[in-house]
Amino acid sequence: MAIIDINKLVKIYDGNSLEVRALNEVDLRVEKGEFTAIAGPSGSGKTTLLNLIGGLDQPTHGSLTVAGKDLRNMSVRELSDMRLNNIGFIFQAYNLIPVLTALENVEYILLLQGVAKEERRERSTRILEEVGLGKEINRRPKELSGGQQQRVAVARAIVSEPELVLADEPTANLDQKTGAGLLDLMHDLNHRKNITFIFSTHDSMVMDYAERLIHLSDGRIVSDEKKKSSRESRERKTPGKKKK
Amino acid sequence: MKTFIMLGWRNLWRQKRRSLVVILSITLGVLMMLLAIGIMNGMIAQMLDNSISTKLGHIAISGRGFSDTMRIENNFFPDDRISTALRKEKDIVAFAPRIKAYGMIQSGEASRGVMIIGVLPSSEINVSKINEFTLPDEGGRFLSDPDALDILISKSLADKLDVYVGDRVVLMLTDKDNERAGVGLTVRGFFRTPVEDYDNMVVYMGIGRLQTLTNLGGNISEITIITKKKEIADSVKERLSRAINDPSLEVLSWRDMAPFLVKAISLIDKMLLIYYAIFFITVVFSIANTLIMSIMERFHEIGVMKSIGTRPSQVFFIVMFEALNLGAVGLVIGLGAGFLLMLFLSFTGIDLSIFMDAMRQWGAGSVIYPFMTARDFIISTVVVELTTIIAAIYPAVKAARIKPLDALHYV
Repeated sequence: MAIIDINKLVKIYDGNSLEVRALNEVDLRVEKGEFTAIAGPSGSGKTTLLNLIGGLDQPTHGSLTVAGKDLRNMSVRELSDMRLNNIGFIFQAYNLIPVLTALENVEYILLLQGVAKEERRERSTRILEEVGLGKEINRRPKELSGGQQQRVAVARAIVSEPELVLADEPTANLDQKTGAGLLDLMHDLNHRKNITFIFSTHDSMVMDYAERLIHLSDGRIVSDEKKKSSRESRERKTPGKKKK
Repeated sequence: MKTFIMLGWRNLWRQKRRSLVVILSITLGVLMMLLAIGIMNGMIAQMLDNSISTKLGHIAISGRGFSDTMRIENNFFPDDRISTALRKEKDIVAFAPRIKAYGMIQSGEASRGVMIIGVLPSSEINVSKINEFTLPDEGGRFLSDPDALDILISKSLADKLDVYVGDRVVLMLTDKDNERAGVGLTVRGFFRTPVEDYDNMVVYMGIGRLQTLTNLGGNISEITIITKKKEIADSVKERLSRAINDPSLEVLSWRDMAPFLVKAISLIDKMLLIYYAIFFITVVFSIANTLIMSIMERFHEIGVMKSIGTRPSQVFFIVMFEALNLGAVGLVIGLGAGFLLMLFLSFTGIDLSIFMDAMRQWGAGSVIYPFMTARDFIISTVVVELTTIIAAIYPAVKAARIKPLDALHYV
């Protein structure tokens, strides 16, 4: 079943009489449970594609359906609700709410969804334990390392068990070992919970982990390859790391 | 909602110094507003109490139309029916008969037009403070014998007439039959009330002697009544009026007798709106400015919140709660400090004797005892929170309209 269905998607940025075609007639279909990386050089359109899939931006032309919903005709509020209920976001710079603890950051999504307090707390605590932060739940972001903050961001993205997680260069600010640990975690969640992950990345390690690798160049898909996730490759690059 | 309030609270303390400056400005604004209201309250209370304790009383029974004309011909006999009605009314504390007549007082040096009030000294001390306002250091004393040829005049009038205690003056007036009458009286003492106009106009003498002089026999001009509290005067008036049930008489409360005073109080009440407006203008911009700065600093963060599913309305409420928290902290400290200040000043008073002449014109004393009512605290609370809400609307709308994508690119 396709969770993302994109046809002839075009995004043109029009500023100061200079027209930039960020995406040019992109066709893409992503099935539920895929672990996909979108790679390409800067300016190739990776982030633009992720933003359009996440309902953060509107396409110029073409159709875009996410989780069965046509994003082109949705109101601001409907897009908010769609992002809340169907999509988890992981950002390059973690982007946690600094005045909330790790637990409260994760709980925040469930709170917006109207989940009861007891259940909220129980699910958030469990997911933080799953990402290895069971002892850090009451710490605020500034009291956590970069890797720990990104794990909180992952926990926040998946706590509501969305169908789709969009991760924009999630390992860019992490060292290789921490990045590999995070990818292990997301790969594991992908397999256990059947959550669809789509990454935008420059990182070859992320590309190695991906089960589908899409290359973008000048706003077009230039290659789309399905493959096996290469954990061996990751182990080669981070010697000494044990398999979970 | 609880989480949004908590978010607002925590956001408040991200820039402690800035928030504290705003809180301090709200606190000082509330404190100054309460002080101004308290002083106004104190002045109004003194104006009222001084008028009630000298000329008005809480209620007066008189011949119909007397309060408008004050003519000596308009008099009545205080029969048993009236005495019984007065004694049966449980909220009446004291009452005393009075005669009021216009006349002229003359010394060897000068003469002045005055209102002569004939009082029964033993009763008058229970309905007015005129005996307390009598100046003992001038060697005088309050009246004692209602039939004596004594007169009590104000110190300011004495200065104008150039008379001292023990000196003789001549009082001339018109009796009830419109015949001229005159009598020589001894100045028994001087008084000084907080109401300057009253001092310049009024003299006191025994009611018995004035009845003889005006040929009233046992009749009087009015009965002055004091109730347990001035606030119940109108309800007591209604009951008394029904009990007496005499169309030739009228029962009036202090509100009826002093419409000017009621209007002055109403005017002062309206002047409080100016204080509220000053507070509003002072505080509204500092809160709005702080919130806008705070939102610009958190532009990226708000974008993230919206990206992960926070609705614009929820962002709006987070900012509103931040403002309400800001206002509430300033309000609580301001009200607390205001309450303590009022408590202190209600004992010590504020000495405004350097403005004594102006204060006497207003009928207030030279020492004002400010106080607050529950209503004032409630109105202050509403004004502060409303100001905060109004100040926060623009920043909150601005925050709610932030486009997540723009904010995510903003560093």
